[in-house]
Amino acid sequence: MGDTLVRRLLRWLVYLLASLLGVGAFLYPFFAREAGAEAVGAAASPVFLTVLGGLSLVALLLETQGEATADAKRIALLGVLIGLNAALSFLETALPGPGGFSPVFFLIILGGYVFGHRSGFLLGSLTLFVSALITGGVGPWLPYRMLVAGWIGMTAPFVGLLVRRLRAQARPAEIVILAAFGGLWGLAFGALMNLWFWPFATGAADQHWQVGLGLRETAQRYLAFYVTTSLVWDLARAVGTAAMLVVFGRPTLRTLWRFQRRFEFQVIATVDGAVTGDDAASVAEVHA
Amino acid sequence: MHPLAWFAWVVVASLSALLTRNPLYLVLLFGIALLALEAVSAAPRAGQLAGTERRGRATPVSPVRFALFAIPAGAVFNAALSHFGETVLFRMPQGWPLLGGPITVEALVFGAVNGLVLSTLFAAFAVLNVAVPVRDLIGYLPRAFYPVAVVAAIAVTFVPSTQQQVRQVREAQAVRGHRMRGLRDWLPLFMPVLIGGLERALQLAEAMTARGFAGRRANDAGSAPAGSSTAQVGTIGGLGCVLVGSVLRLMPRWSAWSTPLLVGGVALVGWAIWRTGRGVHHTRYRQHVWALRDSIVVVGAVVALVSWVLWPASRAYAPYPRVAWPGFDVRVGFGLMALILPAVIPAPQEEAHADDRV
Amino acid sequence: MPMIAFEHVSFAYPGAVSPVLRDIDWTLAEGELAVVAGPSGAGKSTLLRCINGLVPHFSGGTFGGRVVVDGLNPLTARPEAMCWHVGFVFQDPEAQFVMDRVEDEVAFALENAAIPRHEMRARIEEVLALLSLERLRDRDLATLSGGEKQRVAIAAALALRPRVLVLDEPTSQLDPQSAQDVLDTLAQLNRDAGLTIVLAEHRLERVLPFAHQLVHISGQTTQGSTSLVAGPPREVLSQIELAPPVVVLGRALQWSPLPITVAEARRFGPSSTKRAAPAAVRETGQETHGLLCSDSAREGAMAAEETTVRAEGLQVAYNGRRVLDDVALDLHRGEVTVMVGRNGAGKSTLLKALVGLVPLQRGQVWVGGREASHMTVAEICRQVAYLAQDPNALLFADTVMEELLITLRNHRILATDAPINPDALLDALGLRGKADAYPRDLSVGERQRVALAAITVTAPSTIMLDEPTRGLDYDAKAHLLELIHGWRNAGHAVLLVTHDVELAAAAADRIVVLDGGTIVAEGRPAEVMPMWPEFAPQIARLFPGTGWLTAEDALAGLQP
Repeated sequence: MGDTLVRRLLRWLVYLLASLLGVGAFLYPFFAREAGAEAVGAAASPVFLTVLGGLSLVALLLETQGEATADAKRIALLGVLIGLNAALSFLETALPGPGGFSPVFFLIILGGYVFGHRSGFLLGSLTLFVSALITGGVGPWLPYRMLVAGWIGMTAPFVGLLVRRLRAQARPAEIVILAAFGGLWGLAFGALMNLWFWPFATGAADQHWQVGLGLRETAQRYLAFYVTTSLVWDLARAVGTAAMLVVFGRPTLRTLWRFQRRFEFQVIATVDGAVTGDDAASVAEVHA
Repeated sequence: MHPLAWFAWVVVASLSALLTRNPLYLVLLFGIALLALEAVSAAPRAGQLAGTERRGRATPVSPVRFALFAIPAGAVFNAALSHFGETVLFRMPQGWPLLGGPITVEALVFGAVNGLVLSTLFAAFAVLNVAVPVRDLIGYLPRAFYPVAVVAAIAVTFVPSTQQQVRQVREAQAVRGHRMRGLRDWLPLFMPVLIGGLERALQLAEAMTARGFAGRRANDAGSAPAGSSTAQVGTIGGLGCVLVGSVLRLMPRWSAWSTPLLVGGVALVGWAIWRTGRGVHHTRYRQHVWALRDSIVVVGAVVALVSWVLWPASRAYAPYPRVAWPGFDVRVGFGLMALILPAVIPAPQEEAHADDRV
Repeated sequence: MPMIAFEHVSFAYPGAVSPVLRDIDWTLAEGELAVVAGPSGAGKSTLLRCINGLVPHFSGGTFGGRVVVDGLNPLTARPEAMCWHVGFVFQDPEAQFVMDRVEDEVAFALENAAIPRHEMRARIEEVLALLSLERLRDRDLATLSGGEKQRVAIAAALALRPRVLVLDEPTSQLDPQSAQDVLDTLAQLNRDAGLTIVLAEHRLERVLPFAHQLVHISGQTTQGSTSLVAGPPREVLSQIELAPPVVVLGRALQWSPLPITVAEARRFGPSSTKRAAPAAVRETGQETHGLLCSDSAREGAMAAEETTVRAEGLQVAYNGRRVLDDVALDLHRGEVTVMVGRNGAGKSTLLKALVGLVPLQRGQVWVGGREASHMTVAEICRQVAYLAQDPNALLFADTVMEELLITLRNHRILATDAPINPDALLDALGLRGKADAYPRDLSVGERQRVALAAITVTAPSTIMLDEPTRGLDYDAKAHLLELIHGWRNAGHAVLLVTHDVELAAAAADRIVVLDGGTIVAEGRPAEVMPMWPEFAPQIARLFPGTGWLTAEDALAGLQP
């Protein structure tokens, strides 16, 4: 009843290609050498990038949603966690915290950590989807946000590998590693999202992205752009997520693991349904 | 109005905003979007009682406020950081990193136009957000994404009860002496909500199972429906083509190959989606009826798009090296005006029940 | 051919030490309505879930024996197929909803089954009409009352046209009016549509009038099999212990045929009523469920009569609507005050106002002599313990003991300085040995007691309980009653808000009736309750004017 090797291979191939595509879409500005009228060419790029990014998101969703249909418990679990997380994101506006701090990444990371790659991706991307739906914030930047948030959830199980290698389960080191993970992604999220806005600030200008530049110059310019515009925001997000993981991580993990048992699906090993006459005993073992 | 008509409208409107840097066109588009937003906000929403519209949803930012922020911000940023252009306002000391150099009008204008593009995009999507209820936004996801749609539906339903739960928990904890002093004090608020949610999920799963919502695992027939590996292969092929095509685009020798590869790749992925959708067996209860109004709006959107294609000359605009008044093609202007149709065509009386049960 | 047949059915949950059900035999004919009763944990829910296959397919575990429902075996057919034959409605109306509008919710199961659209339409119309939900079809589910929500849940289950409907305690979270609506609907479905219904219910007095069969499960017998008694209600009632007061009285007085409603009991009324002195009964009477109240302790407490909480002229408004209007209330040591009132009368709001959770437009509250407006909620709650309707909102620690320690920490009290020894408190609340248990894994009654422990660990002078009887069976209610009287005798002030009139009658020294935001009656139960029939217990309705409230009162009065 498990996955065959071929299936898993195919699935990881999809992950790989889609992620390459997504990363490529984000980093495209660093590589592009475009002929043609600068302003128009540059203007066409956001469209191109949105298509690439959207494609990557669609492929990953298509692949990971298989996890959700596994059984009603998984769907309900994901639905509830996503709803919870999206409701938390309201706090983002209600809290007088520094701008950029978003409480949603905390659950995305821990959910992915406990429930696996696919659930993590769904948790991340759909939290941002539902959050956008209910705040009326659906916009052209949504596919990108969904993609990056999905990656966060998807890569969280890798932290588990590290933790097991270091034999740090249920020890403080586990939380430290998770917090570092959260902090790094907090920064990376902002950096990647900025890449979406960056091509807009284009033109025959010194500071900003100019098509036809080499990799090094473009990187330098982007760094300058990033530092001046959103570093503070992203630091707030990184520090905030890390802090949440440190303070709430352990109790939340314990709870999620406690419930994980109950959400595992059951398999009926043997069923003998054909009962005749007085022989009314049919026994079935159902395993967790 | 049918949600798909709105989707078409928004796609054309945002595409138009992305394709041009001509501030005159952008202002026109922005104005059209605002008018559409007004018209849609005023209309009663189908199937909802007054007063329940915003339950569980936050009020979105108005596009005008967004523009008031984005346009000046863009202008200032660009002017401060880029120093090209001939009309100099004043000079910053040369030695300063990033900021040093002449502050020019051209840079201001350019930055403002960037802000204007973002504002127009924002306005167009604001119309979508208000015009199409959340349920329909979820419901019109392609068939292949049915699991995503169910999960999203559950999540959206669960948001208001989470908010209520938070209130109850806050009161309950206050009664045992809990005070909000620091970050750590959020834990007693968060944990009962989380645990309650997980317990609710179990109950919900049971209720769904009792109503026949079976998982695939339950079928013991393998963990994927038949045909999905075909779709997987299609996805892989499609992604591969797009990847190669994007890379080729960067290399002048082979860039001719890039477009067909890109288009082919997208088509392959589209096919994979269709194929997955075929494996999904469910029907939809709520269906919108396609009305004359919807056709008119779509035709208008097509007209706007066509006018971009036919007369592309005035699309581009750059204030550099010297700021000048942008060109304006009246024909394109008229084409764009076709996007105002949704705001202008009056909704028929039965509009409020457009999601009909015919 | 019975509609439902259980043959030698046994079941144990995964990881459980002993089976919940053992060797059960039971049948139900088509078109009959069966009520399943019995203490919590005896296996009612499990029995119900065997009917549509949720046990064992959803729960896991080991299953033995055979079940046949409408010709199918749920074990092989699985819930996905059984849903076409058995509809299931759960206890918590909100937790079973996927969508947020009435019509969408009803359509969910049909969409999932890929029923063609025109047929979907027809079925939805049919089921909405059957349950009188047409005018609610476009409403948001969250705006409905509890009773309406459960009716929607029933509609959603019936959309697939099953022939059997199973309901697991559908009214336990509802107020009396909503509960009556739902039960009336079920009676009508059974009568008019011929639906076979199986219903688990604690409040037997509401359902017995239209039940064809009463099934009583009461745990394991000495032989190890589960004791299950099934038969016509009158027969079964004569055999089981816990029953509505009218039945208890009827059994004791050997009325025949055994009355199961007040109306039936009235037939025996005139010939056996003797007008005994009403007031005296209450003072020296025994408490129900065999508890003795020490007279001397009671008199001592009455003498103290110290006021712990006082409120005057309270006025509270929500969204421009006045919820409380000029309310004055005193709570005294050693006295149990019970507040009754219709849904929405403002009872919960009043409790919250007393502890400072709700801002007052006008009026004042004094707690322990000090003005509450000068105190924080935490300070007030050190002296006034308030248990909200849902104790789950309180519990989040890993162990029961931890919950108590958290409260102490919140109030900055060291565990060693605690006014009550936490271990002793757990013992007193019947939680001995559960100090290390995970609170959320405990039963409903136990969880409530953990919550009580958590809020009473500061030795408050006043204890306020808001609707504590939701989801409790007779045993748990008996324990609660013991607790209440224990507190009263120890000199605490107790304020109890409840819909459960039997409990109110057994517990109260004083009754307060709240209606439309004002107090409309206040006084001793024997005086107030007969004036308000909707809050009167069965015995009071049966013997008006005598001041009797419980079966024991009546027995004592009729056979001096």
